[in-house]
Amino acid sequence: MRIIKLNNQIKKRFIFLLIIFACFSTSIFLISYSLKDQIAYFVEPTDLKSMDGIENKYLRVGGLVKTNSLKFLDGKWIFEVVDQNQNSVNVVFSKTLPNLVEENKGIIVEGKFIDNIFVAEIVLAKHDENYMPQSAIDKLKEEGKWRGN
Amino acid sequence: MFAITPNTLSNFMISLSRYVILLSLVLISVSIFLIIFLENDYYQGISFKIMFIHVPTAWLSLAIFLVMGISSIIGLIFKSPTALTVARSLSPIGLIMSIIVLVTGSIWGNLTWGAYWVWDARLTSMLILTFIYLGHILLLHSFEHFQKADFAASILAIIGLVNLPIVKFSVDWWTTLHQESSVLRMGGPSMTNDYLITLLVSFFGIFMLTIFWFSNIFYIIVEKRKMERSILLND
Repeated sequence: MRIIKLNNQIKKRFIFLLIIFACFSTSIFLISYSLKDQIAYFVEPTDLKSMDGIENKYLRVGGLVKTNSLKFLDGKWIFEVVDQNQNSVNVVFSKTLPNLVEENKGIIVEGKFIDNIFVAEIVLAKHDENYMPQSAIDKLKEEGKWRGN
Repeated sequence: MFAITPNTLSNFMISLSRYVILLSLVLISVSIFLIIFLENDYYQGISFKIMFIHVPTAWLSLAIFLVMGISSIIGLIFKSPTALTVARSLSPIGLIMSIIVLVTGSIWGNLTWGAYWVWDARLTSMLILTFIYLGHILLLHSFEHFQKADFAASILAIIGLVNLPIVKFSVDWWTTLHQESSVLRMGGPSMTNDYLITLLVSFFGIFMLTIFWFSNIFYIIVEKRKMERSILLND
């Protein structure tokens, strides 16, 4: 008799916790789902094509620095940010670039479009999740398996 | 399983703790040696070596919260004082771990990204995790009776479990400045074996240190309660 009573209490407490957890996780899911455009830190050049009124709107655009596009002209950095679909954005930046900004490496630019040119106020380098020493790269290059630059 | 009293667990952990701290010191020394002599990353240079503190503490801050949440569930459902005391003694460790993650992460971020802090999904959810740890500790100390404190703090730990998948998968669900996972990911680790081994040695060293630290906090809580009970009985 006593065991049955205890089991009932355990069941009651379990259901109580389950309801709390379910309510809370559902609300968090709904909030993050409806705010997914705001939670995303940057947009890619391809996403910009389907966006309206991007002129003079403060944006973050991310992608790779296009090969052979990084130039220093009249005290300003000029480069193109390109994504996997080969859509690109022309960027102008007049301050010092972070150390890790290189061609064919990740970058995030923050600023506005003025006359179809993205005038960046902040530039951040975005490194990927691959780590390897130079010797491993040399070895891969010898074997012809290296796909970077 | 629920027959384990806090006293039994405390004695068991304390009897093991000298071996645990020895193993931890050996592993941490080996990992420091490995980190110093490891070749730099081809792209990030020496600054990537902060990863060997950042990543193990990040894993541990998530794992500690998972254990805290599960033991809170067991503690609340089965009224197990052992499970509730486990959750109580883990939260200060988790708080320190997550603060280490945030500090090392912002140093690494400044060296590579060019910013100490940005409000992307991974960094923000990690900050929320830190605040949940802080809230858990504050709740534990804001009641006169520890049973009430354990109840309130356990509810917070169970609710906080929702945040864990958000921290872990934020880099996959949304675009972030933070890079994606290198080790626990589909298709195997994206680093060379020498880096991976160093990372695992460093992780197990810090993990053993966490277990040692946990057994000490657990022991202190159990002994304190014993003392309080004996004072009450003598009155």
